[in-house]
Amino acid sequence: MVLELQKPRPIWQIMFSTHHTDVAYLYIVTGLAFLIMAGVLALIIRTHLFWPGQGVLISDSVTFNRMFTVHGTTMLFLFALPFAAGVGNYLVPLMVRYKDMAYPKLNAVAFWMNPVGGALIWLGFADVTWMAYAPYSVIRAPGPAADMWIFGLKIIGVSSILSSINFIVTILKCKHPDLPLRKVPLFAWSMLIVSIMTLVAMPTFAAALVMLLTDRLGVSGFFNPSLGGDPIAYLHLFWFTFHPEVYIFLLPAIGMMYELIPRFSRKPLFSTGSGVFAFVLLGMIGFASWGHHMYSTGMDFTTKTVFMIGTLAAVPASGMHVFNFLATMWGGRIKFAAPMKFAVGGIALFFSAGAGGVLNTAMPLDFLTHGTYWVVGHMHLFLTGTIAFGFIAMMYYIFPLMTGRMYSEKWASVQFILMMWGTVQLFFTQHVLGLEGMPRRIYDYPAEFTSWTQGNQIATIGAWILGASFVIFIAQLIYYSAKGKEANMDDPFGLGGKYYYPYQAKTPHHIGY
Amino acid sequence: MSHTEHDAPILRTSTRRVGKMLAIIIGIQIVGGLIFFMHYDFWNSYLPIAGKLQEQGAVTGGATQGQATGKTVNVSLKFVESPDFKTYAFNALSGPDQNPEIHASVGDKIVFDVTNAGKSFHAFAITDSKEGTGPAIDGTVIGTADNPMKPGAKGEITFVPAKAGEYFYICAVPGHRELGMVGKIEVTEASSGGASGATVAPTGNKVEFSLSFVMSSDFKDYAFNTLPGQPGHNPDIKVKSGDTVTIHVKNDSKSFHSFGIVTDPDNPTNVLWNSALKSADNPMKPGETGDVTFVAGSSGTYHYICTVPGHATLGMDGNFIVE
Repeated sequence: MVLELQKPRPIWQIMFSTHHTDVAYLYIVTGLAFLIMAGVLALIIRTHLFWPGQGVLISDSVTFNRMFTVHGTTMLFLFALPFAAGVGNYLVPLMVRYKDMAYPKLNAVAFWMNPVGGALIWLGFADVTWMAYAPYSVIRAPGPAADMWIFGLKIIGVSSILSSINFIVTILKCKHPDLPLRKVPLFAWSMLIVSIMTLVAMPTFAAALVMLLTDRLGVSGFFNPSLGGDPIAYLHLFWFTFHPEVYIFLLPAIGMMYELIPRFSRKPLFSTGSGVFAFVLLGMIGFASWGHHMYSTGMDFTTKTVFMIGTLAAVPASGMHVFNFLATMWGGRIKFAAPMKFAVGGIALFFSAGAGGVLNTAMPLDFLTHGTYWVVGHMHLFLTGTIAFGFIAMMYYIFPLMTGRMYSEKWASVQFILMMWGTVQLFFTQHVLGLEGMPRRIYDYPAEFTSWTQGNQIATIGAWILGASFVIFIAQLIYYSAKGKEANMDDPFGLGGKYYYPYQAKTPHHIGY
Repeated sequence: MSHTEHDAPILRTSTRRVGKMLAIIIGIQIVGGLIFFMHYDFWNSYLPIAGKLQEQGAVTGGATQGQATGKTVNVSLKFVESPDFKTYAFNALSGPDQNPEIHASVGDKIVFDVTNAGKSFHAFAITDSKEGTGPAIDGTVIGTADNPMKPGAKGEITFVPAKAGEYFYICAVPGHRELGMVGKIEVTEASSGGASGATVAPTGNKVEFSLSFVMSSDFKDYAFNTLPGQPGHNPDIKVKSGDTVTIHVKNDSKSFHSFGIVTDPDNPTNVLWNSALKSADNPMKPGETGDVTFVAGSSGTYHYICTVPGHATLGMDGNFIVE
């Protein structure tokens, strides 16, 4: 916003601009707005589960189902995807030294699909879970909510395909001729890999959504058993898109950490090549592991083994990233400003979430934990512990770029401590609850299972702590964007040396990235 | 080369601009919230068409209930157990009251008033299966094995047999039926007088009738032959059981119609004896004529109607009496 702000413009000019920084700003603000809304749902759900037999906050199980459906859908498609696209919009053109994205109007169109899709999802408030598994979603999920959910996701899917095309063309074709691809910064690499993965993965889900819709209309029976269809086919189509989607959520966060860790360690990155290699590797094996979501659907042993090996192949690639981070930090003069705190915290939690993932992919353990709170804990630990940590680190990093002002380092530290604490208390406890046998998505649980009650109470208190950290985050973003002290746009974090803040990219003689 | 020189001043966000942005975001959320909560139930109100089709079609599992056309039979049942919990039964542990056999005809409405007078948990169900706990016939269940009737609990259900045969009322808790909680319901074909809709062999006697669909010019009154209030409106048709009936049907109206004979004019899909001429999906066009020939079934009072949904209620409904 500040970057191109030669004179103050009315807000509607920003809203209908096609410039990459304006679109990025809209993406980020929209993503954060949806983060708050979905976070409120999460807190209501967790508070509801504090005691067994509660009916005060959520009066019936259908409302409960609707809430966690919209919570999941929003966090994934209306916070994680738009936020990564927003940061990509800010930084990728600077990193490849081009004046804008390749197709500015397409960029704005891709953004404006998000509020429309979001409105459909939030107005309908469907109860299909974020996966919309058949046959429930075909023959029972009430309309028009479920149909609106389908159309909302369809629109968001088209939006992510359009923005992927834009990123790929920007990076590959609009890159400065003096800049070889191997010298492109790793965040731009992560956006490139993610965009290619989106183009490969998303059409499958788009097809599955159309099939789901025609099934619901009763004109086809792809997933409807009473018409000879197979619900398992939906799972295959869904997870063929959404296991790669896990990496589509994750890789931008890793790319953001690559951007932050060398800067705040005041050392060059240990190895660009291994980072690129690990991105490409993750991008490919992301497509070889969707079956591990479906071990319990009765696959034969050979298929399961293939998927198990395909999943384990993600471990070395993820390890390469972690070692790259650690080797970069090793011996550096590390400045633990807020972006670095969140980046390092994210690495620590990435490691623990990854360890849980390895347990999940081991077939015998998967059967024990399938459909329990273990899965909820694992998925949320990844999404909060790694992806949200990376995003928040980046948010603090580009905050001066967006507003021209500094956030409060003190409040950022408070937020970091609360968020780290809350994440661990909430999601580690959910792993334990899963091992105690608590199934996912249950509205209520018997009071006789005292270990469930205890676990849920510990987790709920963790959720409140996590919620408090986000309240601090949002409140300080709003307060300090208006009242913060003016940032030194050349080096807002006082790092010195030759690491440039993206703002300098606007000076013509700049050779930064 | 210095990075600190800028040609233009850095313009920083102001309180007013942040306030405007927040007003836009919160405004959108409030408007969206109003739309959402004003329609909260509507968004989740109807089944997908695929689900509706499944509900109309063959229901898997237990048999369905029939149409209540006959008399009402009241049955009162109690779950009882012996003090040592070795014998389970309905009403009495031994003697003539134990597991009373119920006799009824197709179309009779049997009302079960069930009480758990024992000390254990039970669940009531009616099934046509000769052993085991089900599948239960739709709508005949009080409690389930997972969520049973507690001691002292009461419940009432009605059962209308759709076809003749042997049915059982049982305790659906696994094992209880085998220990004696099972009684028989003998269902016979409907006695004459009730309109059972059963088919009979043709007697060879042939009769012919003519009917025409008519409607008032304002499309408000629907009838056969003449409009309501005029002579010859919806004439009674009398035939003998086993007669081969031919009906010449003419569509004299400006709308689409189809013909059929049913027991219940509110349920036009259940057309008897192959008497349907065209259907609601593929109706007779204005001016079209057609003949339908069928064998009148067992005696009773039936209805000849327009089987397009709603038309019978609007007046296209006449008596078809089989003697």
